Amino acid sequence: MTRLAGGLINRSQSLNFTFDGRRYQGHPGDTLASALLANGVRLVGRSFKYHRPRGVLSAGSEEPNALVELRTGARQEPNTRATVVELFEGLEARSQNRWPSLGFDALAINDLLSPFFTAGFYYKTFMWPKGLWEKLYEPAIRKAAGLGRLSMEADPDTYDKGFLHCDLLVIGGGAAGLAAALTAARSGARAILADEDFRLGGRLLCELETLDGAPATDWIAALETEFDSLPNLRVMRRTTVFGIYDHGIYGAVERVSDHLAQPGARVRQTLWRITAKRAVLAAGATERPIAFADNDRPGIMLAGAMRAYANRWAACPSETVAVFTNNDDGHRTARDLASKGVHIAAVIDARPKATALADYRVITGGMVTASRGRLGLKSIEVHANGRSEWIECGALGVSGGWNPNVHLASHNCGRPIWNDVLQAFLPGEDGPSGVLPAGAAAGHFSTAKTLRSGAAAALRALNVLGIAAALPSLPRSEESRYGVAPIFHVPGRKRAWVDFQNDVTMKDIKLAHAENMRAVEHLKRYTTLGMATDQGKTANVTGLAVMAELTGKTIPETGTTIFRPPYTPVALSVLGGGDAGPHFRPRRLTPTHHWAKAQGAVFVEAGQWMRAQYYPRPGETHWRQSVDREARAVRSAVGLCDVTTLGKVDVQGADAGEFLNRLYSNVMATLKVGRVRYGLMLREDGFAYDDGTCARLAKDHYVVTTTTANAGLVYRNMEFARQCLWPDLDVQIFSTTEAWAQIAVAGPKSRALLARIVGGFDLSNEAFPFMACAELTVCGGLRARLFRISFSGELAYEVAVPARYGHALMERLVEVGADLGVTPYGVEALSVLRIDKGHAAGPELNGQTTAAMVGLGSMVSQKKDSVGAVMSRREGLAGDRRRLVGLRPVDPAGKVVSGSHLFAEDAPQSFDTDQGWVTSACYSPHVGSMIGLGFLENGDERLGEVIVAANPLEGESARLRVVPACFVDPEGERLRD
Amino acid sequence: MTDLRPITALGTVTPGYASFGALDLRENAGLALASLALRRGTLEPTPFGLTLPEPGRWVAWQGVAALCTGPDQWMIEAEGRAELDFSAELKQVAPGCSVTEQTDGWVAIEIVSRAGTGLEALLSKLVNIDLANFGPGGATRTGLEHMSCFVIRRGDVHAAVLGARSSAGSLWHALETAAKRLEEKVA
Repeated sequence: MTRLAGGLINRSQSLNFTFDGRRYQGHPGDTLASALLANGVRLVGRSFKYHRPRGVLSAGSEEPNALVELRTGARQEPNTRATVVELFEGLEARSQNRWPSLGFDALAINDLLSPFFTAGFYYKTFMWPKGLWEKLYEPAIRKAAGLGRLSMEADPDTYDKGFLHCDLLVIGGGAAGLAAALTAARSGARAILADEDFRLGGRLLCELETLDGAPATDWIAALETEFDSLPNLRVMRRTTVFGIYDHGIYGAVERVSDHLAQPGARVRQTLWRITAKRAVLAAGATERPIAFADNDRPGIMLAGAMRAYANRWAACPSETVAVFTNNDDGHRTARDLASKGVHIAAVIDARPKATALADYRVITGGMVTASRGRLGLKSIEVHANGRSEWIECGALGVSGGWNPNVHLASHNCGRPIWNDVLQAFLPGEDGPSGVLPAGAAAGHFSTAKTLRSGAAAALRALNVLGIAAALPSLPRSEESRYGVAPIFHVPGRKRAWVDFQNDVTMKDIKLAHAENMRAVEHLKRYTTLGMATDQGKTANVTGLAVMAELTGKTIPETGTTIFRPPYTPVALSVLGGGDAGPHFRPRRLTPTHHWAKAQGAVFVEAGQWMRAQYYPRPGETHWRQSVDREARAVRSAVGLCDVTTLGKVDVQGADAGEFLNRLYSNVMATLKVGRVRYGLMLREDGFAYDDGTCARLAKDHYVVTTTTANAGLVYRNMEFARQCLWPDLDVQIFSTTEAWAQIAVAGPKSRALLARIVGGFDLSNEAFPFMACAELTVCGGLRARLFRISFSGELAYEVAVPARYGHALMERLVEVGADLGVTPYGVEALSVLRIDKGHAAGPELNGQTTAAMVGLGSMVSQKKDSVGAVMSRREGLAGDRRRLVGLRPVDPAGKVVSGSHLFAEDAPQSFDTDQGWVTSACYSPHVGSMIGLGFLENGDERLGEVIVAANPLEGESARLRVVPACFVDPEGERLRD
Repeated sequence: MTDLRPITALGTVTPGYASFGALDLRENAGLALASLALRRGTLEPTPFGLTLPEPGRWVAWQGVAALCTGPDQWMIEAEGRAELDFSAELKQVAPGCSVTEQTDGWVAIEIVSRAGTGLEALLSKLVNIDLANFGPGGATRTGLEHMSCFVIRRGDVHAAVLGARSSAGSLWHALETAAKRLEEKVA
């Protein structure tokens, strides 16, 4: 078939494209589907299950059949609907789900085996043996079924996202949407008009009916000119509103450069989150087919789509066509095609009475009962008035009526309402608030009514918002009749397709009914009706009607499945909508990051933080060498570690002490000014959740430190406590984690090192003892804070300066401490040092452990109440007898593996005999072997006992001796030195 | 005065600067910040002559500015005073209030449109703010590429984003990427 006359394509320019390697030509304005039809290509794909030859069914985003692999290389995209792909020069498309070729597909054998592939096939067939499902059946099924192929390459394109706000969002740019947008735009309201098509007009572009006696495109062009002049209206073409979310937020994807061969510098798509006070849903309607025997042959398409291809794209799949309809709209297809010189073999109207709109044969009370043509329609069998005849035609337009696109109005669990006159569901009242359906989406099926309803919906929305608006004068247009009859399928014994994409036939629905899968949600899962990329847009209502018929219920009694976003498929890339690689998520850098990087530090992610893990030196070939050296340096000389990442919360106010008393399990109000105290926080349920130090800088001023991991959580809980639990307390809190660069200076020579930068500040034990804190100046006048606290168990300090000086301070400390053997150390050595000392950290405070378990039971003060204190004493929790212990391998060369489970020697190893687990393990250069910490049943009473740490995952087992959970300086003399 | 040399939040000695079409991005390393919170029974002060703004607002007066950050809380900005002990100064003029030094907790990135356009287009790609109600004097806390930020509309053609200092690089990257795309779109 060659092109018809007319259409909205630019014939002065040709576009070359290929389909399955064959070269074709189309024009700007074409879709891939229209260009294929214009080139006489009816066969475009194979069906999902039976590999049946398929052609284009629709002319829009509802397309179930014409799915292709578009583009090549990394941009190859499977399951692209040919009906919405704008043709561009050099477009390459391939059919999918066929081997070796589209014309001859070996897997079409499935079609012959169809009696085995009925509804519930997988559930019934692959039940035994169970173990084969994962390894054999599922991979085999996935290989045989499935649609297109992924490129398996990284997406080379960039995606964007953005936010828009408006008074009125108009969804759909057809007659109703244009009238709504016009009404809103002229009122001065902030409005957005979004349409999935690349050209405004919707169905107006597909009809020959005139507006004010002129082609509809004239009216649209005039509107577009006016729209361009109105800054309060944003027109978004190629933009699909795919979902409605809470609080009036609409998700939309703008296909910025999908219509180009390559995006170039542009983004491919943009994800918009639109916050709209009101929305007019003018999403139009989708035609549904009538199910009859072999109704899936290439050339059989929706009648409205056939008309759209003829009128808008000047394309028709055949020179001889027939129409099968149960409503007046089917006749418009016959009339328009006839006017373009296409031979109308017949219009088969299922209704007993029908009037022809032009000079063509009408068969009233007729049904199409069969079809012929393996790779393309050749003829149809028509049964009417007690006799059958075969009619030759290359294409058949089928109209079973129109379903308003209620999808968006049914998000947020809205339920559409059945309308008997229209034999269709209309938007319900219980969907997302603020959405006003209009036009065909609201069940208005003539141009005149859709125009009026669009304008009226906009007017209603604007009135509610208090925006004065006037009804614009709308063009004169047709008031066509519809007159749909409730005919959804043609009775028969052969397979008749309801859901083309999932190969669901009338037989499958009958089987689901017979096997008691009658609820719609069961019907969907059992048969796969309405699943996959088209979500049953052309199939669902028919499926429901058939189930209703089988159960003897009405369609509304049968109900619908839940509508969920997205309305049409949305690429995960655009939902991700941003950076991949190092900028995939924000990264937090410490104040000494650039310094550490320059030293060659290896970094490790700690949440969003990048922390120096260790600092390899020349000659060190294994991380352990670096870490051992760093740990030894701290034990023997002095080390430096950036500990800025620990949370810091500034707590001020007259009741600051009382506030902290209630948050910490131990007493803080009695802390003296200039002193620091270790504190433990419990969750409401009594488990331990965070620990750290609390420094009192002034009577009404504390600084709380938290662990790195819980910095945000502790701050949030503190804010909740301040605002909601105890609003009567005078307390103000601010996070200052980032404001201060904090460096741990640890080791026997730390005092000597610090003395070189603190001016005359007295660091002696008498003036500044263990757990002292002070505000002072360093490096010639820089204000700083100094805390004498120790994580390593050595004489140690933490010094804090404004963050921008952290880098320079680190440099200075290294410079002035060279003769002292100053050594920067990373979090790996930090961890070794704290395991040495038996300090609990993340692996110990994992949300399942109590204060008593980590040996801090006495820190839960009985003298006052605090968050979690009462619950920590509850039966069950208080009775937990697992205790933190140290663990050393009996064989000094033996391993301690964290995560191993602990068992008594010679006991069987099972859940019942499990006595605890290893929480942390490392090689300790101080001890000279691996060491570990772990929770052990009655651990505090089992010192000296040999137990077994089992690591069944790797088949390992080690004998460990239970020792106190402190391997270095148990009396704490070093840190008080 | 200390002999240590500070670096900016972006990790360099000189503040970050980049220009994309009509849009300039500038790291404002000199901006001093301190938070101010009312204590119980304290009268609302007028530090440096500032009338502390309502929620969602920002006011500026003679090199000092304030934005509301929560109930009875404000962030006070002082242009070019990062090297001074600004929180101590603020404490002097806000008696009875809790003051916390914040200068180094944040990175401030100033966004200025030289041509007078493009600022809103840029912001609409970054933050979920209704820009029609976010004229000069608007300020709000919001998420930007998973980072919590303050966005301040300092003028018709001038906005600022305050983000966590540690993620200054990620914030700069986000702003730079959006500005660059806008420039390419215009081109």
